[in-house]
Amino acid sequence: MTTDTKPAPETMSKQARRAEWLRENRTRLSVIAALVFILLAALMGLEPEDRFATIMQGLSVGALTFLVASGLSLIFGLMDVLNLAHGEIFMLGAYVGWTIYTRFDTALDVAVPLLLVAAPFTLMPLWRRLAEKIRQLDVNWHGALWVVALAVAYVAWFLVFARSRADAPDSGASGFVITIVTLVFATGLAALLWRWRHHRSVGETAGEMKLTAWSFFIVGLGAAVVAVTKFPLVIWDAEDFAKSPSNFSVQIDLGQLAPLPPDTFGWPTLMAFAVLLAGGALIALGLSCFRTHAGELIALTGRHWAAFGGMLAAAMVLHLGKVSINEWIFGLSTTWRFFLAMAVATGVGAAVGAFIEVVLIRPLYDRPIYQLMITLGVGFILIELVREVWGRPEFTMARPAAFNGTGEGCPGEGLGGFFSGCSTVEVFGSRLRVYNEGFIVLVGILVLIGVTLLLKRTRIGMVIRAGVQDPEMVQALGINVRRVFTLVFAMGSGLAALGGVLAAPSIGLSTGMGAVFLLGAIVALAVGGLTSFPGAAAGAVLVGLLQQIIIRYGQTGISVPFLDEPFKPSPTVVPAAAILLMVVVLLVLPSGLFGRSER
Amino acid sequence: MTAPTMTDRTGLTGWLQRRRGVLITAALLVAFPFIISIVVDGQGLAAVWSNEQGNARFLQGLAIEVFILALYALSYDLILGVTGLLSFGHAMFFAVGAYVVLIAALLQAFLFAIVLPRVKGITFALVTLGFASVFWIVIQSSDLQEWAGAEIGLQGVEAPVWFLDTTNHRFAFYLVSLAILLGVFVLYQRIIDAPAGKVFASIRENEDRSLMLGYNTFWFKLMVLVVASITAALAGAMHTMHQPIVTPNVASLAFTVTALLIILIGGVGTLTGALVGAAVYRLLQFYLDRWYGAASELLIGLAYVLLVLYLPYGIVGTWRARSLRIKEGRDRLLQMVTGASKETSSPEE
Repeated sequence: MTTDTKPAPETMSKQARRAEWLRENRTRLSVIAALVFILLAALMGLEPEDRFATIMQGLSVGALTFLVASGLSLIFGLMDVLNLAHGEIFMLGAYVGWTIYTRFDTALDVAVPLLLVAAPFTLMPLWRRLAEKIRQLDVNWHGALWVVALAVAYVAWFLVFARSRADAPDSGASGFVITIVTLVFATGLAALLWRWRHHRSVGETAGEMKLTAWSFFIVGLGAAVVAVTKFPLVIWDAEDFAKSPSNFSVQIDLGQLAPLPPDTFGWPTLMAFAVLLAGGALIALGLSCFRTHAGELIALTGRHWAAFGGMLAAAMVLHLGKVSINEWIFGLSTTWRFFLAMAVATGVGAAVGAFIEVVLIRPLYDRPIYQLMITLGVGFILIELVREVWGRPEFTMARPAAFNGTGEGCPGEGLGGFFSGCSTVEVFGSRLRVYNEGFIVLVGILVLIGVTLLLKRTRIGMVIRAGVQDPEMVQALGINVRRVFTLVFAMGSGLAALGGVLAAPSIGLSTGMGAVFLLGAIVALAVGGLTSFPGAAAGAVLVGLLQQIIIRYGQTGISVPFLDEPFKPSPTVVPAAAILLMVVVLLVLPSGLFGRSER
Repeated sequence: MTAPTMTDRTGLTGWLQRRRGVLITAALLVAFPFIISIVVDGQGLAAVWSNEQGNARFLQGLAIEVFILALYALSYDLILGVTGLLSFGHAMFFAVGAYVVLIAALLQAFLFAIVLPRVKGITFALVTLGFASVFWIVIQSSDLQEWAGAEIGLQGVEAPVWFLDTTNHRFAFYLVSLAILLGVFVLYQRIIDAPAGKVFASIRENEDRSLMLGYNTFWFKLMVLVVASITAALAGAMHTMHQPIVTPNVASLAFTVTALLIILIGGVGTLTGALVGAAVYRLLQFYLDRWYGAASELLIGLAYVLLVLYLPYGIVGTWRARSLRIKEGRDRLLQMVTGASKETSSPEE
């Protein structure tokens, strides 16, 4: 329109520049003004003593939403992936945190096998070198490996799945299934043998190598699975635990359910350790065999061996000192255990995020729509995994002791009451819960400050901000953008998992909790502008406030004109209001309140 | 008879020739319950019509579910595969058909279609997700308990006419749903062969360029959305007729993902893929559920991720891309088995 005749900004007067800015952001400003007006009007309509409580509750929900939305915003801004599995990482964080907090012993039992499988990965240069040797091998060796791998896979499947199904009462189909799967395996074996006999020339080994890599991978995985399920490494029964973890905990505490007898270094344990280590080594070897070109071979230094030895030693110490470590942890106050749970869950979330990015998202950067689809699939898998491990029932998590005090001097008075150790506090005539409206909001603000400082003040933050604007340019400047992608994905997932642990004591644990907060976070993101980090924070607070205000009005009712009774929205329709807000904002301002407009 | 050429592909015979795949499928599927009834159940031909209990009746029920899913996935394929709009709200169209009636679905389609073509890319996905989530939340809320039954859903919907009664006249319902599915399939094929269909594909490939060429893409997107949402609503209405209980889950994001999964299995943008994918998906789900119980959903999720990673063109897409090589391999296999015709050996030697 008038862009051609517009003078350059530096030649305009200050007044003209301001007028220009106002004209450009006309819609944006009027939408913000309308939103502020609506929120203020809604708050004024509340009872005075409810007002402060509603704001604080809104901030609390907003803080949790922000923890999910911040990662989502960074990931979307940097790599254009809308991670639809983010809510499920939030949920996973809650479950991991619950386990660390309530049943540390079970978490410890899982840590030992995980450490043993992960330990060989520290010797990656060794496996790379070995893979190069394998590449040179005669085709007969490859063929033999394939056959062994298939046989091991079949035996592992039979031991783990088929046998346990056959014991089940409703096993009418299992004989049939075993026949079918056996036939499939036999066909695969025949095909492999055929390929082995009819390989064309010695030089053509790419296909051969791929099958060999899969063979190592399958044998390693099968060995690890069999070792975990068939040898007594743990003191708790997985079946009992997965039926209902909270019941399991209660029954153990009441002495109604006896833990399995703690094992010592008998033969089975040593064998399980050896098989787990070998399994991890084979998986690592298989992964390095997948590489199509040798690449740079790094020398195997003492540091690699030190890391390997360290992990082995850690596994041994955890296994031998299981009883005393458990006693020590359970002797700590619940507050310390809660902080431990927060740290571990954040770490697990980050690890899962990094894994998802490297294994699943990275191969698909040239097919963007498929990235979206795969995150959707990962979300469903995570839900099902959590159901397999922790069972389907919903359960709760006790608040840590520092926020759960009652009795003498409670509830606390004024702002200082937040530190009195009481569970509730009276501020400005409203009664607030210290954990929900104090601690969660505090952590949300700390994370906001921390991430903002990281983005604005550090080198990596500068790279991230530059990457949001133009990843190709950053790559061209010689910065490994892929590594930054992985880092940001891990960081975002870690924050989401942290949000999950924080949410667990206030809203409880269920496999559906992720979807609710993901929806809230997506709304926050869309309202605030998809790639804007401060926008995500503002959007999250807006969503939280809106929801809490509507819940409040649901209790008192809104008097709608032409209706006799006041309209009382039930709590289930509350998320709908936030979504409607998103739809309206997106239709008026497709780039959100604070986002850059495209083109 | 000479081999068919392009010249004799006109008129009724030409149409029949071009659609012979559909016609053969239709004939096979009509005969299918009779064959099962005779071979497996040992009942007569009349047993199919008189609605006897048995494998034939059960498999008809399963087949009807496949048809409904196929119809639903077909409409999603038109939006995503052909026109390239990633919608996360398709389950809502289905659910509107399932909950309300077709007229309301028409109205809704126009209402949303006025809004939806205005946004594109990720914003389109978010807005559709938003609409569908609102709808899902509203139908399960207790505020509408009297009409939508909250979490339980709709129960015991009466069939308006006898041939839509799945309990007493299952074979009739089977034929009706088969006819609707194949009719819509042929119609869709006609649409994407028509000039308008080419514009849909050009919107998928590069919307700005088709705008520049003079096509008002707004109207074409509107057309796609209206056609697809009406088809999905039709599938939803059939679902209500077929199932004793309609749960609110048919409006959830998971049900949109079902459509996505189906066309991924079959092949995105192929239309035929939606039909193949629906059959594979429903049968896989049924038998996995029977054998592995609760773990079946995990297995389906894994299958989904592996499909996205390793078989992005689905069954039909991969088949089309590799049909030459598959034919070659089949020839070689036949040669090996019969040991004859060495002179027409594969081009490899």
